[in-house]
Amino acid sequence: MYSWFILFPLLSVIILNLPFRGMMNKIAIWYALALSIAQVYLVLFPVNIVMPFLQLNLNADIISRAVLLCIAIVLFVTILSAKYLIKKEDKLFNFVNLLFICLAGMNGVTLVTDIFSLYVFIEITAVASYTLISFYKDKDAFEAAFKYIMLSAMASAMMLAGIALIMLISGDTGFFAIREALKVSPHSSLIVFAIAIFICALFIKGGLMPFHGWLPDAYSAAPAPVSVLLAGVVTKTLGIYGLIRIMVSVIGFDGPLKQALLFIGALSIVVGALAALGQSDFKRMLAYSSISQVGYIIIGLGTGTALGIFGAVFHLFNHAIFKSSLFLNSAAVESRLGTRDMDKMNGLASKMPVTGITSVISCLSAAGLPPLAGFWSKLIIIVALWVSGYRVYAVVAIMASVITLAYFLSLQRRVFFGRIKEDSMNIKEAGIGLTLPAVILTAIIIGVGIAFPFLRDAIKF
Amino acid sequence: MTDKILLLPIIIPLVSGAMVLLFSNRFRRAIEMISLLAASLSLLVSIRLFKENLSFSLPWLGQGLEFSLKLYHFSWFILLAIASFGFLIILYSILFMRNKAYLNQFYSYFLLTISFASGAVLADNLLIMLFFWEGLLLTLFGMIAIGNKNAFKTAIKAFIIVGITDLCMMAGIILTGHLAGTLAISKISLSLNGLGALAFIFLMIGAISKAGSMPFHTWIPDAAIDAPLPFMALVPAAFEKLLGIYFLTRISLDMFQLSPGSWVSVMLMAIGAITIVLAVMMALIQKDYKRLLSYHAISQVGYMILGIGTAVPVGIVGGLFHMINNALYKSGLFLSGGCVEKQTGSTDLRELGGIGTRMPVTFICFIITAVSISGVPPFNGFFSKELVYDGALERGWIFYAAALIGSFFTAASFLKLGHAAFLGKISEKNKGVKEAPFLMLAPMIVVTLLCVIFGLYNQLPLRHLIQPVLGGIRMEGHDFSGFPGNMKLVLATVAVLIAALLNHIWGVKTKGSGLKAVDHIHHAPILSGIYDRAEKRYFDPYDMGLKIADLAAKIAFRCDRAVDWLYDGLAVKVTFAFTRQIRKAHTGSYSAYLAWSLIGAILVAVFLIYST
Amino acid sequence: MNLNIFILIAMIALALWTVMTRSLLRAAIMLAFTSAIISILMFRLNSPIAAVFELSVCTGLVSVLFISTIGLTHPSVKEETFEHMVDRLRKFKFLPFIIIGMGMALGLVAVKINLQLPLAEIETDARTVMWNLRPLDIIGQVIILLSGVFGVIILFKESDKK
Repeated sequence: MYSWFILFPLLSVIILNLPFRGMMNKIAIWYALALSIAQVYLVLFPVNIVMPFLQLNLNADIISRAVLLCIAIVLFVTILSAKYLIKKEDKLFNFVNLLFICLAGMNGVTLVTDIFSLYVFIEITAVASYTLISFYKDKDAFEAAFKYIMLSAMASAMMLAGIALIMLISGDTGFFAIREALKVSPHSSLIVFAIAIFICALFIKGGLMPFHGWLPDAYSAAPAPVSVLLAGVVTKTLGIYGLIRIMVSVIGFDGPLKQALLFIGALSIVVGALAALGQSDFKRMLAYSSISQVGYIIIGLGTGTALGIFGAVFHLFNHAIFKSSLFLNSAAVESRLGTRDMDKMNGLASKMPVTGITSVISCLSAAGLPPLAGFWSKLIIIVALWVSGYRVYAVVAIMASVITLAYFLSLQRRVFFGRIKEDSMNIKEAGIGLTLPAVILTAIIIGVGIAFPFLRDAIKF
Repeated sequence: MTDKILLLPIIIPLVSGAMVLLFSNRFRRAIEMISLLAASLSLLVSIRLFKENLSFSLPWLGQGLEFSLKLYHFSWFILLAIASFGFLIILYSILFMRNKAYLNQFYSYFLLTISFASGAVLADNLLIMLFFWEGLLLTLFGMIAIGNKNAFKTAIKAFIIVGITDLCMMAGIILTGHLAGTLAISKISLSLNGLGALAFIFLMIGAISKAGSMPFHTWIPDAAIDAPLPFMALVPAAFEKLLGIYFLTRISLDMFQLSPGSWVSVMLMAIGAITIVLAVMMALIQKDYKRLLSYHAISQVGYMILGIGTAVPVGIVGGLFHMINNALYKSGLFLSGGCVEKQTGSTDLRELGGIGTRMPVTFICFIITAVSISGVPPFNGFFSKELVYDGALERGWIFYAAALIGSFFTAASFLKLGHAAFLGKISEKNKGVKEAPFLMLAPMIVVTLLCVIFGLYNQLPLRHLIQPVLGGIRMEGHDFSGFPGNMKLVLATVAVLIAALLNHIWGVKTKGSGLKAVDHIHHAPILSGIYDRAEKRYFDPYDMGLKIADLAAKIAFRCDRAVDWLYDGLAVKVTFAFTRQIRKAHTGSYSAYLAWSLIGAILVAVFLIYST
Repeated sequence: MNLNIFILIAMIALALWTVMTRSLLRAAIMLAFTSAIISILMFRLNSPIAAVFELSVCTGLVSVLFISTIGLTHPSVKEETFEHMVDRLRKFKFLPFIIIGMGMALGLVAVKINLQLPLAEIETDARTVMWNLRPLDIIGQVIILLSGVFGVIILFKESDKK
C-alpha cells in the first residue's frame, strides 16, 4: 500500500495536467486538501490497498509514519494558506502541482529502503523546492534559491560519492545489504570516509551548523506558504529524517559517530539560538530558531538509545507543528503590515488576537514549557542524554532552552505585546486562511502536550 | 460515655467557625447566634467532661503517629476555663463588636481559637499539639489583622515573633521525640542534662512566649491598641496564659524532671523576675487604658514563670493559681476597658476621668479586679502571690525582692489608672456617658465575682483544681489553701501596698492629677533615659531585628544587584557579543557558506577516520 | 581501437564543451549529452546499475541546471550575473589544487583501505535492471523531469509573458 503514497501524487499531477485545465484549475486546491487529509487518515489507520503491478521496495516503521503524518499535516496548512495568499488562479494551480511533486518526493524519502532511491527522492524534493522558493521571482528569492542549489549540489556530490564508495563493499544499495556489508568490513578508512561525507550531505540538507548557510536566506526569502512547508517538513524530511533513517537502519551507532552527532547538534543548538537572538527579521529569527531546534533532534539521535531516538522523532514532529504555526503567524503579520522587520511592529496582539495567542503558545512549546508538546520532547531528549551519560550535553541543552525562551520572548515583546504603533492602528486580524491553520496547529500542540502522558504507552516504539 | 466525646470541644467550635465564615456580614444575627450557640455548647461539654479521665486515639499519618487526646486531672480545669472564657467573651462581643467590620471573620477566628486551644490542651501527642499550636498562630494573626488601620503591621509583628518561637518549639519537639523515642506526651520522661536541657529550653521558649513573657512580649502592647478588644481579653489575657503556663507546667513536671537547684530552674526564675519588674515599670508610665493593661498581662506572666521555676510545690501551686487568677482579673480588666471604650469612644487616659459615677458597675468591677491584681487581701491575687513569694523566698531573696518590687509598681500603676480613668474631673465630651449595657456587664460581673470567690474561698480552686495537678506525692501532704501561714510575708506585702498608696497620694499632691501621679518615677534621673529609649522601642527585639533585617536586606540587595548584573549585564553582553560575531560571520556570500560546509565535512571525516 | 575509446573521447570532448561554453543553457544541454554517453559506456562495460544511476543523477543535474540558469539569467542583469559568475570562478581557481593536494596528503599518511569486495551479481540487460530491479528510480526520474518542467513553466514561461 505504501506505493500509493508516491504514486498517487504523481498520478494527480498527470491527471491535473490532462485536458480540461479550466475545470481542474478550480478543483485543484480542494483536491490537494483532500489528498493531505487522506494521507493523515491512511497514516493513522493503515488500509491495505494491494498494488496489482509494479512492486516497489517500500517499508514504513513508526518513525516513517510519524514523519508521514507531519508531512500531511503541514501540507494541509500550507495549502490552506496558499489558497489565501496566492490570488491568481494560474499561479495557484502551478503551486499545487509543485506541492504534489514535493509530496511525492518527501513520501518517497520516508518510505524507501534503498540508499540510492533515498538520494533520488531527496533530489526530487530539492528540485521542487528550488522552484518553490523562487516562485515569485524576486531577487532575494533567486539569491536564496541559488544558495540552496549550490549547497545542495555539493550535498548531492557528497552523497553520490558516498554511495559509490559504499557500493564497493556492498554491491547493492539496499539498506539491508549495506548493513550486512558494513558488518563484514566496518573499519576501512574509505568506508568511514564514505559514511562521513554521506552524513555531512544530510547535514547540509538538514541545515545544521556549520552546513546551514543556505537555510536562513531560503526560509526568509521564500513565499510564506513555502516557508511553512520548508521549515515544517522539507528540511526535516530530507536532512533529519534521512539522517535518522540512515543511522537507525543502515550504519548503526558507534562511539565516534555519536560524538560527532552530539557535537554538531550542540553546536547547532547554541549557535542557532545565539544567532536567532540577534535577528530583527521575523522569518529570519524563526529560521535560526529552526537550526537550533534541529540541533535538539540531532543530539537526541546522538545518544543512540531508544529513548533518545524516540525523543528526536517526537521533537521532529513537534518542531514541524510549532514552527509551521509560527511561520503562519509571520505570514499573517506580513500580510497585514507589509514588513517582516520586528522593529516596525508593536502591540499587534490587540489587533490580531488569534495570531497573537497562537504565536505565544507555539513559542512556549518551542521553548519547552509544560504542559505543551515541546516540553515533553525536550524533556525526553534531555533525560536520554543524562541517562546515557552525556551530562555536559544535557546541561548545554537545558541552558540553550533558556536562550530559546529569551529570543522567543523578545519576539513576542517586539511584535505582539506593548503599545500599538500609530500607523498600525487600523490593521485587522489576518484572514481565515492564515488563522484557521494556526489554530489547528496550536490545538495539536496543546492536545499532544496534555495527552502525551497517556499517549506514551500507546506509541509502540 | 464513649471516648469520642473528647473530640467535641474541638469539633464544635471548628465546624461553627467554618460555618460563620460562610455568612456575609449582613447576617449579623445568624453569625452571633451560631457563635453563641457553639460557645455555650462547648461550655456544656466541658462541664460534662469535668473530672472525667478519658483518652482517645486514632491512627494518623502512619509511622506510629497517633491522633491521641487525653483528658486528665490537669486538663480538666484548663479545658473548662477555655470554654468558660470563650463563652463569656463571646457574650460580651455581641454588643461590643456590633458595628465593627469583618464581623464574620472575627467570630470565625474566635471560634477557631477556642477549638485549637482545646485541641492543644487535650493533645497527648507533641505533634498533634504542635498542629493546634500553629493553628492558634494563624487565628492570632487573623484576629489582630482585622483591627484598625495599623493592625496589619502589628499582626505581622505578632506572627513573626510567635512564629519564630513556634519554630523553636518545633525544634524542641523534634529533639524531644528523638531523645525519648516517642512523641506521646504521657510516655515522655527525660532528664535535664545535655541535649535534654536543650530540648527543654526550646520547648520552654515556645511555652513562655505563648504566655507572653519577656523578651517575646513586644507585640502584645501594640496589639492592645490595634486589635479588637475582645481579642485582647480572650487571647493575651486568658488563653495564652492558660496554654503557655499549662504547657510550661507540663514540660516541667511531666516530661522533664525539673528539680530545685538545677540551672534551668534558676533560669526560669530569672526570666520570671525580669519580666515582672521590667514589664510593670513599662506599665507604670502608659497613658492608654488598654496598653497599660497589656503590660500588666506581661508582668503577671513573670509571677507564674517565677512560681513554676522555683520547682518547689508551694511555688508551682502558686504559679498555677496565679495563672487562673490572672486569667480572671485580667480579662475582667480588659472587659472593663472595653466598656469604657464602647461608652466613651476612647481609651486614652488623658481624655478620660471622672466617669466612675456615671459607670458605677464598671467602676466597681474595675476596683475589685484591680485590687486583686495588686494582691490586696482577701482577693484571689493576694493568695496566689503569697504562694509565689513563699516559693521564691525559699530559692533566694533576690527573686522575692523582684516579686515584691513588681507588686509595688503594680499597685502604683493601678492606682494611677483608676484615678485617671474613673475619678478626677470629667471632661466635657464625657458628660453624657452612661453605664454599659447589661450584656456587656454580665461577663465582667461574673469574672469579678469569681475573683472574690477564689479569694475568700480559695480552698475551692486550690483543693479541687490546682493541687491535684501536682499529685499527692509531690505535694508531700501539704495543703496551701486557707490564709497564708507565713505572717511575715503577709506583713511585707501589706507594707508594700501601703507604700504604693502613699506614693500615689504624694504623687497626686505634688503633680495635681491622678494621671501624673507616677511622673516622679517616670522622670527620675536614670529611669527617664531608660524610659525614653524603651518608648522609642530601642529595647524591642522585634524592632531591633527589623533594623538588622533592613541592613541585611540592603546588603542582600547589593549582592542581588551584583548577581543580577552577572545575569542581566555580563551574561547578556557576552551573549550579544557572540550574537554579533555570528551575525558578522553570516555575510550572505554563498562561497563562504560552501567553504564552511566543506571544512565541516572534512573535519567530520577526519574525526571519524581517526577515531574509528 | 576499441569502440569504447571513441566513446570515451566523445565524452571528454562533450565535457570540455560543457565547461568551456559561455552560454549556461548550452552547457546544460551538453551536460545531458555527456552523461548520456557515460551511461552508454557503463552499459558497454557491464555495469548497468551504475548506468541507471548515472541517468538518474543526470536528469536531476540537468533540471537543476535549467532552473539555476533561468534563475540566474534574469533578463535585466544577465551580463552582470555572468560577470559575477566569472569573478567567482576566478576566485576559486585554486580549488583543484587544494583537492589534488589533499589527495596527495591522504596518500602520504597512508590511510589503510582494507575493503572486502563482494561478488558482483551482473545483470546485463538494461530493461531488466530498469524495470525489474529499480522501478522506484524510474518513477523518481519521471518526477524529477516533471519538476523540471514545472520549474521551466513557472520561471521561464511566465517571465516571457511579462
